[in-house]
Amino acid sequence: MAATAAPRSPATIAPAPPTLAVPLPLAGLLARAVVAGLVAAAVLVPPLLAGSVWQQRIALAAIYAVIGLSVNVLTGHAGQISLGHQAFVGIGAFTSAYLSFRLAAGFPVAVLVAAATGAALAGVLGLAALRIRGLYLALVTLAFGLTAETTLFNWRAFTGGGAGAEAPRPALVGTDLRYSYLCLAVLGLVLLLDWRLVRTKAGRAFVVLRGDERVAATLGVNVTGYKLLAFVLSGLLAGLAGALFAHWSQVVQALDFDFQIALVWVVMAVVGGLRSRAGVVLASAFFALLPTVLPELLTASPVQPPFLNEAVYHVLPPFVAVVLLLLTLILVPGGVGQLLLPVRRWLAGGRLRTGRSAPQAGDGG
Amino acid sequence: MTGLLEVRALSLRFGGLQVLDAVDLDLPEGMVVGLIGPNGAGKTSLFNCLTGSYRPQQGTVRFRGRDISGLPTHRRAALGIARTWQNLGVVGGLTVADNVLLARHQHAGYHALAGLLGLPGTGRRERELRRDTEEVLDYLDLRQYAAEPVDGLPYGIQKRCDLAMALATDPELLLLDEPSSGMGPEEAHQLGATLAELTGQLRLTVLMIEHHVPLVVAICDYVYVLNVGQLLAQGEPAKIQQHPDVVAAYLGEPDGAA
Amino acid sequence: MWTFLVQGVFQGAVYGLLAVGLVLVYKGTRVFNFAQGEFGSVAAFVTWGLLLHTAVPYLVAFVGGLLAAVAMGLLVERAVVRPLFAASRLILLVATVGVALLAIALTVLAAQPQARVLPPAVAGEPITVAGASVLPQQILVLVALAAVAAGLAGFFRTDLGLAVLAVSQDPVATRVVGINPVMLSRVIWGLAAGLGGLAGLLQAPVGIFTPGFMTATTLLPAFAAAVLGGMTSLPGAFAGGVAIGVAQNLGIYLLGQQLAVPGAAELTVFGLLLAVLLVRPQGLLGKAA
Repeated sequence: MAATAAPRSPATIAPAPPTLAVPLPLAGLLARAVVAGLVAAAVLVPPLLAGSVWQQRIALAAIYAVIGLSVNVLTGHAGQISLGHQAFVGIGAFTSAYLSFRLAAGFPVAVLVAAATGAALAGVLGLAALRIRGLYLALVTLAFGLTAETTLFNWRAFTGGGAGAEAPRPALVGTDLRYSYLCLAVLGLVLLLDWRLVRTKAGRAFVVLRGDERVAATLGVNVTGYKLLAFVLSGLLAGLAGALFAHWSQVVQALDFDFQIALVWVVMAVVGGLRSRAGVVLASAFFALLPTVLPELLTASPVQPPFLNEAVYHVLPPFVAVVLLLLTLILVPGGVGQLLLPVRRWLAGGRLRTGRSAPQAGDGG
Repeated sequence: MTGLLEVRALSLRFGGLQVLDAVDLDLPEGMVVGLIGPNGAGKTSLFNCLTGSYRPQQGTVRFRGRDISGLPTHRRAALGIARTWQNLGVVGGLTVADNVLLARHQHAGYHALAGLLGLPGTGRRERELRRDTEEVLDYLDLRQYAAEPVDGLPYGIQKRCDLAMALATDPELLLLDEPSSGMGPEEAHQLGATLAELTGQLRLTVLMIEHHVPLVVAICDYVYVLNVGQLLAQGEPAKIQQHPDVVAAYLGEPDGAA
Repeated sequence: MWTFLVQGVFQGAVYGLLAVGLVLVYKGTRVFNFAQGEFGSVAAFVTWGLLLHTAVPYLVAFVGGLLAAVAMGLLVERAVVRPLFAASRLILLVATVGVALLAIALTVLAAQPQARVLPPAVAGEPITVAGASVLPQQILVLVALAAVAAGLAGFFRTDLGLAVLAVSQDPVATRVVGINPVMLSRVIWGLAAGLGGLAGLLQAPVGIFTPGFMTATTLLPAFAAAVLGGMTSLPGAFAGGVAIGVAQNLGIYLLGQQLAVPGAAELTVFGLLLAVLLVRPQGLLGKAA
């Protein structure tokens, strides 16, 4: 493939100056290293200091972040919508539970097979997406999620019906502390994968595919293949997150994967800012913690709003989610990622307060 | 001279509308061929049939003697068929350099999954791809705009970026859809020089839809005239200008600006 | 079996009402409205609340519910649809998903997450019509539908109604008709919300209802109905609703009762939706593009 390029390529005229070349002063480098170190510490230290409750919450936040990144691959990168993501996360959870509890498979095997199952299920839905586009695809994914929820997840032999399926943790990651580090490590890997995706062939194919499929095809992009790849990759991450979730909660039920949660997952990716890794992770963590932390804050507050009680706490998170969604869409369409953009630019070596996008060649000083 | 592209009896219908009717067309290698005709003649539809975006009901398209009528678009691109777009195929929010990098897709030299997993060699190929990109940018004098988002640039520069993307696929056959539209006479003249250079240095074969008659006369070796889906005339540009049928078809709209 | 089919017709009428609203909004303002079901849920809860807390007669509570739905439709149009009109259609879809979630959350806050019962407008024992067991309430459903059809037919003869109809058939028509597009958008959303509200009020007395019940159980069949009608024709959408209702009950009977497949209702709708979109994307009644 590469070999055919050489003889016909236009002739080189002169060695070019590198496009991104604004050397940072040492102080600037140090400041950025400190900030990066602080971010790393902010992620890695809390599990050590926190009690079991917060260790569990951190693990859940990491799992949600993987789900958010899974939605991001499909919707952010490939421009395909999924309102039925609970199908992929759920199948991952039940598969991992079934393998590790019923078949006594090893934990890594269970998790990997779960991820593969998520990928396979998403691939099947992806086949439909080859023919069905845009808003109609959104409908199909919604219907797919609902159907998976009511048929697959209510299949007693597989999911244990209403009682749920047990998903034990292996001894190595048996404690909440260790499990939280496992989830953070997986999140790290997924972030790495997303970074690689964006910077290589597949990510660029998604960019042009998202814009215009016909243009993509004339540039040599196999539209069918890359659409399927987006679904499979997204399903893989969703299945992985589902497996982590199963062993996190140790009992999974069909109720854990209702259609509302799939909608919240889409919302969190949009609020985070599609295609912004940091934004999606932050927003996902926020939505993971909201259902437990918000009621806690409300119960602890001295004044109790009259209409609130235990029963309605669980609808407050979607409520907050939606208010954030609408505010995001109307005021900051780029989501959290858009708000983080100046910081990111600064970390990458730009100035904090430049109005322009990227630093340009020859414009340093 | 061998025929690079051979179109035989190509017919395309949308519902009851006959868009192309038994069109024959030959592109000898290394030639610049013009495709002219009034609006609605089916010129862009013909392009879409050549790239595989549309599936004609009848007829064959041969490329280097091989029947490619059944091939999907990306496989035709891999054989060396590239095109530009009348309303631009650029991705607006991206920089010029990133757009051209997108277009190097099929020359990445590694599998998409290998890139995803960061297998050895992909990093080196990525650096090489960026160098390829810079070559293309330099070739079309786009270097100064490399880091600018495309949608903020003047239309003429955007068109050049679109052309750069087509060139970045390393084509053998280049289909240009109204390359001079939206350009002033000065820019159109410059474009003519660029195209002459392209065919001269890179030995590309070009089929171009063009309304700007002086440009057609200046750089085309041969011209096909399409009218309501049918081939009206063909020949050398100077003769085509005098052809009575062509004059009749164009009556009242000298450069097709209806 | 026969009763299943007849019940399917009544269930389908509810889908059809929602589907007509979906098509109106889609053709008129290019929005796939995922909050359409919640117009019905909100109407049902407002009527239920009025009956519980006030001494108003059923009819007044019923109209109150309808008005609440219309008000919600106008609010959504003003607060969500218009500010986002320039956004992509996918973003608008996500926004209406947000509206649905918000409406569900608000209903839970106001009415608690418990199953409620709305008495039917007409109580009474089932009677047998043409060999199928039918509730008096269901006779009322037919009367209500006839009234809606007559009302819409009358409305579509007025200038405003003609404009709505024109724009629902060809979005470019607004400019030609020369009616204020903002006004038209309001009328379309109000009308669609009213139809959604009516659907909710007809659906709620069938069993128990909980916050979000319309979105959970009727929204998808309604979309399938609209797609079946080609997303263009209002009568087509209603007919699609009835067809989906019957097919769904057939699916419940054959798959669920005979073969004990869980989720037979959802499976049937999903299968139908997929089949229509794959085989005949323009709908059974739509014209080929």
